[in-house]
Amino acid sequence: MLQYLLVALIVAAAMAFSAWKLMPARWRMRSLLAVDAWAAKHPALLSWRERSLKPRITRAAGSGCDGCASHDSPVHRSPR
Amino acid sequence: MDVAVSAPSLQLALVGVPNCGKTALFNRLTGSRQKVANYPGVTVERREGERVAADGRTLRVLDLPGTYSLKPTTLDEAITRDVLLGRVANAPAPGLVICVVDAVHLPIGLRLALEVKRLGRPMVLALNRMDVARRRGVKIDIARLSAELGVPVLPTIAVKRGGADALIEAIEPARWPGERNVIAGEWRDPGTEDAEQTQADLRGVLAAIGYTPPADNHWASRVDALLLHPLGGTVVLSVVMFLIFQAVFSWATPPMDGIKASMAALGGWVSGHMSAGPLSSLLVDGVIAGAGAVLVFLPQIIILFFFILVLEDSGYLPRAAYLLDRLMGWVGLSGRAFIPLLSSHACAIPGIMATRTIPSWRDRLTTIMVAPLMTCSARLPVYGLVIAAFIPRKDVGPFNLQGLVLFSLYAAGIISSFIVAFVLKQFAGQRRYSPLMLELPDFQWPNAANLLLGLWERVRIFVTRVGGIILALMIVLWFLAAYPAPPPDATGPAIQYSFAGHLGALLQKIFAPIGFNWQISIALVPGLAAREVAVGALGTVYAMSASGDNLSAQLEPVIATGWSLATACSLLAWYVFAPQCLSTLAVVKRETNSWRYPIIMAGYLFALAYLAAFVTYRVVATWS
Repeated sequence: MLQYLLVALIVAAAMAFSAWKLMPARWRMRSLLAVDAWAAKHPALLSWRERSLKPRITRAAGSGCDGCASHDSPVHRSPR
Repeated sequence: MDVAVSAPSLQLALVGVPNCGKTALFNRLTGSRQKVANYPGVTVERREGERVAADGRTLRVLDLPGTYSLKPTTLDEAITRDVLLGRVANAPAPGLVICVVDAVHLPIGLRLALEVKRLGRPMVLALNRMDVARRRGVKIDIARLSAELGVPVLPTIAVKRGGADALIEAIEPARWPGERNVIAGEWRDPGTEDAEQTQADLRGVLAAIGYTPPADNHWASRVDALLLHPLGGTVVLSVVMFLIFQAVFSWATPPMDGIKASMAALGGWVSGHMSAGPLSSLLVDGVIAGAGAVLVFLPQIIILFFFILVLEDSGYLPRAAYLLDRLMGWVGLSGRAFIPLLSSHACAIPGIMATRTIPSWRDRLTTIMVAPLMTCSARLPVYGLVIAAFIPRKDVGPFNLQGLVLFSLYAAGIISSFIVAFVLKQFAGQRRYSPLMLELPDFQWPNAANLLLGLWERVRIFVTRVGGIILALMIVLWFLAAYPAPPPDATGPAIQYSFAGHLGALLQKIFAPIGFNWQISIALVPGLAAREVAVGALGTVYAMSASGDNLSAQLEPVIATGWSLATACSLLAWYVFAPQCLSTLAVVKRETNSWRYPIIMAGYLFALAYLAAFVTYRVVATWS
């Protein structure tokens, strides 16, 4: 029974993660902004908002998509 | 009180011509304190970083897109001009402009510096690559240059540790004066008369500072004579590319065998230490057989990108661009399309975004439409799997046969992109050719640190994808392949009664004419999320079909016996044109601001893929 419960949790998490990664960037951005607006009303969430949410919003606003890792971090390799 | 928070920040902007070392200097100034976003309303990348000065002030550093002039011809260049003028929302006008000039190619950078200086903003000039300039005999009277321009001039060597210390010492403690005579409101882009005036000013400054141009490098000139020769250069380029694909197969085999063996051992260990049940099946058939089957191809990706980075760092790639410019113009592509198309061999998404440097909209659209035909690294696992299973590991003369087939698949992608571009040109009508203008950088030995960082970036991206979206999709696919459970009187493998089995049976009706069985048909669906997922999906589907046998990472022998040669070739042909992943379509929609083009792209690529696979299947089935 425990195995079935664990499997159900893992599969549900994988479905949610896949849906999040594959959804259109605009929807993802809107979702993040909605969560950000909600978190802004709760002082207890301030540090989480700064530490975790803001970087995600920055990435979502960046080039490319969240499903492709090509642009979610700075490229350190320098041209001459 | 926290000094860093209360102290005022200074907005710095780095501006310079392309390849002047601006980004290297940006990295030197900001280290890892960087973030990448977009400028409002456009898809031009905004790279910003921070530096905390010794007095606690935060210096915000903006790396502006490279430009030759403040009269823009592309979207990127327009952004550079607008940020300097303070016209961009959410991008405050820079309090200090750092104009980066390559000392080896002083006149071209100095010309831009003269234009920027006219804006009236506080400015320093970073004279970069001074070490190379001195070696090449370039003479610059720095003090006189500073006096002529009326701004501080500081020598830098951005790629060396400590090479920007003089610049940092100058900008950190300084209290830069406010803006003087900023002409943003009355700015007009430089016209012909302005350009002539700038050129005259430039000549005057160069004469005043006693500038002597770099001595000719006879060795480099002789090498260039070969590499840029229409025939000799093409032969060299073909040989280089050919050897790379040979190495991808020859060198990658031992580490790939090692990863396969590790995955098989891991699968066996998990099976042996867990009681049979859904969790064990999920780990062995879903996670290890699925994600593990993709991870096996990491060595091939590392080897491919090692060579690409070596070619890039040595200065060879711009020469290849020059060489192919005429051919690209003939098929209807802009010369500026070379870099975007080359980037597409890593991933179509950065390649499509790199088309922003193409000024003509029609040229840009043609490049976007053919970019997915370049073989992206996500297709390598599919090619690698099928080639390893069906092409014997033997030599043909001095060549490895598997490498030869891989090379031909990459070549097929490039040739088809040229054909499609040529056809599009006929629809779009004749237009003026937009030539490629670039500076050929000096040859140099690749920098080991740059190579390692570049490879690490590729490894990180690949492993993150395997551990992220690919793993998640494999778990979802496992669920679809495992449930609902088969009826008590079932005779076939359990997967046939599952959601995935029903879907596969349905799709097989569409794909049967091109030789795909139901397992391949299922794998194509998650392959739309990312192409390499198809390999993981095949791993999971075959593991589930095998009724509990441990097949993790042993996909190769299974498909070698289960598929015909015609089916294997058909799948390779399908993936040459394979409809791009959903992320690529989303980026095309964003870059073209229309659903029309991604729909056209998906339609023509599906049609080409189906047609190519159909013809290949029929021809190979007849002959074999």
